[in-house]
Amino acid sequence: MKLITVEQMEAATERLLETGRQVGADSWQQRVKNQTPHCKFGEEGTCCRICTMGPCRITPKSPRGICGCDVHGIVARNYLRFTAGGSATHSDHGREICHTLYQTREGGNYTVKDPEKLKRIAHEWGVETEGKDIYDLAHEIAEMALMEYGKPFGTQRFLSRAPEHTQKLWHDAGIEPRAIDREVSQSLHMTHMGCSSLPEALIRQSLRSGLSDGWGGSMCGTEFSDVMFGTPKPVDTTANLGVMEKDMVNIVVHGHDPSLSEMIVHYAQDPEMIALAKEQGAKGINICGVCCTANEVAMRHGIPMAGNFLQQENVVLTGACEAIVVDVQCIFPALGPLSKCFHTKFITTSPIARMPDSDFVEFHAENAGENAKAIVKLAVENFKNRNQDLVYIPEMKTNATVGYSLEAIKKCLDGVTNSQVDVTGTTKPLVECVKSGVLRGAVAMVGCNNPKVRPDTAHIELMKKLIANDIIVVVSGCSAQAAAKAGLLSKEAKEFCGDGLKRVCELVDIPPILHMGSCVDISRMMVLAADVAKDSGWNISQIPLVGCAPEWMSEKAVSIGNYVVATGIDTYLGVDPYTKGSTEVTELLQGEHGIKDWVEANFTVELDIEKLGDKMIEAIEAKRVALGI
Amino acid sequence: MKTLFERVFAGNDEMYALAVKAVDEAVAKLGPDAPATFGDTAYSLPCLYAMTGRKVATVGEAKEALETTIKDFMTRNNRTKDIFTSGVATALSAEMIELMKWATHGGCPYEDPVMGHFTDAQVRELGVPLVTRDIPGVAVIIGAAPTAEEGVELVKEYQSQGIFVTLVGGIIDQCIEKGVKLGFNVRCVALGRELSSVAHVVSVALRAAIIFGSTEPGNYDAMWRYTMDRVFAFVNAYAPVDDMTVACGAGAIQLGFPVVTNDTEENNMFRVPKSLIIQEDTSKFNATSLEARDIKIKITKIDIPVAFSSAFEGEIIRRGDMQVEFDGSRVDALELVRSKELGEIEDHKFTLIGPDLDAFAVGSKNAVCFIADVAGKNMSSDFESVFERKFHAYVNCMEGVMHTGQRDMIRIRVSKAAFEAGLRLKDFAEVLYAKLKSDYDAVIDKCQITIITDPEECRKFRHEVAIPAYDKRDERLQSLTDENVDQFYTCIMCQSFSPSHVCIVTPERLGLCGAVSWLDAKATNELDPSGPCQVVPKAHVIDENVGRWEEVNEAVNKYSQGALESVTLYSIMEDPMTSCGCFECICGIEPFSNGVVIVNREHAGMTPLGMTFSEMASMTGGGVQTPGFMGHGKHFIASKKFMKAEGGLGRIVWMPKALKEQVAERVNQSAKELYGIDNFCDMVGDETIAEDPETLMAFLSEKGHPALSMDPLM
Repeated sequence: MKLITVEQMEAATERLLETGRQVGADSWQQRVKNQTPHCKFGEEGTCCRICTMGPCRITPKSPRGICGCDVHGIVARNYLRFTAGGSATHSDHGREICHTLYQTREGGNYTVKDPEKLKRIAHEWGVETEGKDIYDLAHEIAEMALMEYGKPFGTQRFLSRAPEHTQKLWHDAGIEPRAIDREVSQSLHMTHMGCSSLPEALIRQSLRSGLSDGWGGSMCGTEFSDVMFGTPKPVDTTANLGVMEKDMVNIVVHGHDPSLSEMIVHYAQDPEMIALAKEQGAKGINICGVCCTANEVAMRHGIPMAGNFLQQENVVLTGACEAIVVDVQCIFPALGPLSKCFHTKFITTSPIARMPDSDFVEFHAENAGENAKAIVKLAVENFKNRNQDLVYIPEMKTNATVGYSLEAIKKCLDGVTNSQVDVTGTTKPLVECVKSGVLRGAVAMVGCNNPKVRPDTAHIELMKKLIANDIIVVVSGCSAQAAAKAGLLSKEAKEFCGDGLKRVCELVDIPPILHMGSCVDISRMMVLAADVAKDSGWNISQIPLVGCAPEWMSEKAVSIGNYVVATGIDTYLGVDPYTKGSTEVTELLQGEHGIKDWVEANFTVELDIEKLGDKMIEAIEAKRVALGI
Repeated sequence: MKTLFERVFAGNDEMYALAVKAVDEAVAKLGPDAPATFGDTAYSLPCLYAMTGRKVATVGEAKEALETTIKDFMTRNNRTKDIFTSGVATALSAEMIELMKWATHGGCPYEDPVMGHFTDAQVRELGVPLVTRDIPGVAVIIGAAPTAEEGVELVKEYQSQGIFVTLVGGIIDQCIEKGVKLGFNVRCVALGRELSSVAHVVSVALRAAIIFGSTEPGNYDAMWRYTMDRVFAFVNAYAPVDDMTVACGAGAIQLGFPVVTNDTEENNMFRVPKSLIIQEDTSKFNATSLEARDIKIKITKIDIPVAFSSAFEGEIIRRGDMQVEFDGSRVDALELVRSKELGEIEDHKFTLIGPDLDAFAVGSKNAVCFIADVAGKNMSSDFESVFERKFHAYVNCMEGVMHTGQRDMIRIRVSKAAFEAGLRLKDFAEVLYAKLKSDYDAVIDKCQITIITDPEECRKFRHEVAIPAYDKRDERLQSLTDENVDQFYTCIMCQSFSPSHVCIVTPERLGLCGAVSWLDAKATNELDPSGPCQVVPKAHVIDENVGRWEEVNEAVNKYSQGALESVTLYSIMEDPMTSCGCFECICGIEPFSNGVVIVNREHAGMTPLGMTFSEMASMTGGGVQTPGFMGHGKHFIASKKFMKAEGGLGRIVWMPKALKEQVAERVNQSAKELYGIDNFCDMVGDETIAEDPETLMAFLSEKGHPALSMDPLM
């Protein structure tokens, strides 16, 4: 098999940008040029504009702000605010899911598709399920989950999923997250003018706020999405812009919350809508996804993935997009003006993400069905307005197998157990592969695209390097889509592996890179790490496992980084967080005696992708040596 | 504690050092030009040749290969690739050690029952049963079991499932101590007492890849891919497992063969799913291994007092061990399948007419008739002979029972041990009933068995019922010629082993393995319409003389996945039919006489072509067309379609004596009909007449052999 190269993808983008120039469209490529060079104070995190005495910018000549805060306090405060932004965002997504769960009913817009999972969570939370109507249970659990956001006392329920050692570390470090909203609020409070300026305290709160996301809000998002929409299992799909269909109505769903996309997918299959599409001269309705929404619908329905974060403008530039329907997060406001250059309808649906030049169709659990249908109808009726002369869909499409939830991974692993000696339903086969050295370790590769890195290159090149070294990779979010676009999520990609990983892929029948979902689903990776620790007897920090976000850009990514590291997983970044300006903060996050003393893991920042890969492999091998394996 | 990688590398180094020592000693003793071969293989040194493409014929070449090619595999990075190639290097080093034993000893260094090397002919003989899954897997047992009883129990368990068993080390003497029969014919082979002898079974797997899979020697990845996908072998290694065994295990795992051991993690063993499995309870080795290698045993649970397994198919009962005998050459002894109407039969009914085994004197010869009456909506009387021929295998699979011959020429011996275990004629009936019903369930709805042992009744039945039935069948077979049927069949049963080979089976040209006749193919097609035997209508002839049909070409093209474009059915020069590798005989042109030499698998000696069976066989097979060479069944030799395009069986100038005797009657008859020659076989040379072309030519000229006056073959 041949992988699709970044060069091929860039050539396709270039061709689309030509169309853009023809219709007078703006592009992120152009805006990057306009914005370069970036503000150095901003990049280093040394600008404080928390109060109106400033803004204060720290230089050797002016080492303190007007209030007297030094550069370390300013950098740490900015870092915590960044984290809190991400934590709030992910967790609020989770909250929406909990609210939707509360709205489920038999025959309603939203139902419980995985009652077993709901019962499992209920047992975990000490809720009696015997003889209880599944919807009564759903509502009870939804209410309990919503309480996790604001409960006055106690810590997050899901923390008990972590190994005892990890829980003790959190307790001893004082970073067990309490109510999710409280951690965000406290972060904002701590960073208010005249509160914390002690880096150590601010970074500690960053970890706690991150944990409230990963082991709180995000985990609610993941778990209750599974309950409502089904726990993902391996499903075949396709990826890249070639998934758009020239002769069909193309509806692109973009954003993060599956509550919207699930409904759109449902109504796109409605015979009435298909008939309408045919009336309009189209062969049918084609739904495809961008960003994490793509991950959500791909892993549950096999819906094709048109692209990741920096490809969102491309779908409109094909000239074949009847509607781009968005909910929340990572949506370029640029889509508004861009859609005006074509016939494309830019449809916003969430009061959280309102944008100029969009059609706003407010979406609630109560009106989900009728509004989804209205949106599909709008798109279908727009087909006739398409200017076929502007249509160019790059012939670029790869096969991918996606949907490796933790449950699915364990099921795959069950396939290589021997009923005469092994138990099922564990990660032990994976542990055995690692212990014996057949697999050297694992990397959790996540995160976004960022124009500071040649898009997708870091993801793809690092993945290729890791799998060639018998390191299995789990992915989510835009990293997963980079892999899919290149062809690395197909089972045939085993060809690019070392002999150990290749054999594992064949025996377990998996691709070498496992798609675990969207960015909230990094919570799945945390539970996976916890289960591996329990099954192996190692601490999470001892597992030959590291995290990596080579092209990250958003506040969510920083929140994720904080909870991944706080869980005990060393994390490698290919883009600098805005902390370079403070040696103290850098030492806390990246040094041997900062957060590492609290949670047994830290960050490594390395902008040279080749070196970043080498460092991860070295770290994995070092963990092996330490374990004597 | 060492890591798994450290153990493999250390074990590899150790085996390599032993090989260097063995080779150096052989060079010192014999000189570098001394020959080094296991004999009876066209692929010397088989494992080395398969994995590297490098051939070795002398002690000096062995040394060079060891120091370069094998050494190159011994890389030492901490990656699975390195333990895989080091594992293979360990097996190749082991093969070198064994080779030096042969070189130094001037032949097989082992004494019976230890066998060591398998001949090519033996590998080829395993082809059919491996394909049909009559041999569902190959077990390699290394080391001594905790007790001899446990070891023997494991061996017997495998044998009862038809698994081919090979033994290395302590388990051999445990089997000998407990009186377990060892040998190729009972499918339980002692390879050698030293670990290095494990190379002999690796050699079987790799030669299978070359012979049946047409895998290119030296294509490392294609080799392990073939063995992993198609050779269902696995290893059982008893604790304590040393580094060298661990290294051999890595080689086994590279080839796709899982290793099951009772050594523990405390003792520095590792677990790798589906590859290296710790099973501390050795009584579960069998079940654990079968699951690890995905071997499903087709269970025909037959309630008889002795074991029933294909492992006993080749068992020989000597006169001294015999309780009773039925012998068709002296008394009336026969077997017959009759098709009946459904209403005429009571399913699973057994009738015995005459005394049972316990009424016969020890060592006596007795009369017997085995009669199976079958009925079914899809039954055809054409299938009677197909089912009847299976009696041979069914009866032979009973432990302690030997069956030869067919129809009213059968001979059956029952051992004293089987008799003492309680075996009686109702058990024979049960075996026939159960096997017929399970093997042919799509055709046989009802089956009843009658056994007659009353001598007078037997005589009456033979003459009044059986012989007329055989005669009627023969008449039908006579009329079954390629010309008067409408369709041929494909047979791709071998494709699990030989992926690009397709047989075309016609009434006068049975499958080249000798196991599938046109009627067999027809029955197989009825039983499983989407199975290996598909109908090939013969609607559009291209050239009747060489046997070229459009539909035949379409079929071979389709079922070989495009590897073959066309074949002829009656020529060995023009697009000859391919072979899988498990053929009974091979013929090759003999240029001086303008004829062909045929040699059967059993014949180990030289032929006038200057090649043995193994060497001739290595010229073809694996679905490759090689004009001038063709694999075929014994039965085909007497066919009027045998190389009809080149003038027919009158071209045969040489056959081994034993084969000649076997086919003489039918060949003479065909020769009489084709050329008007009497006793044609007397004109055909054999090893007692000539093993070189000059002597053969002199003989043929003296006899006036017809081939000498035929058109030149080339």
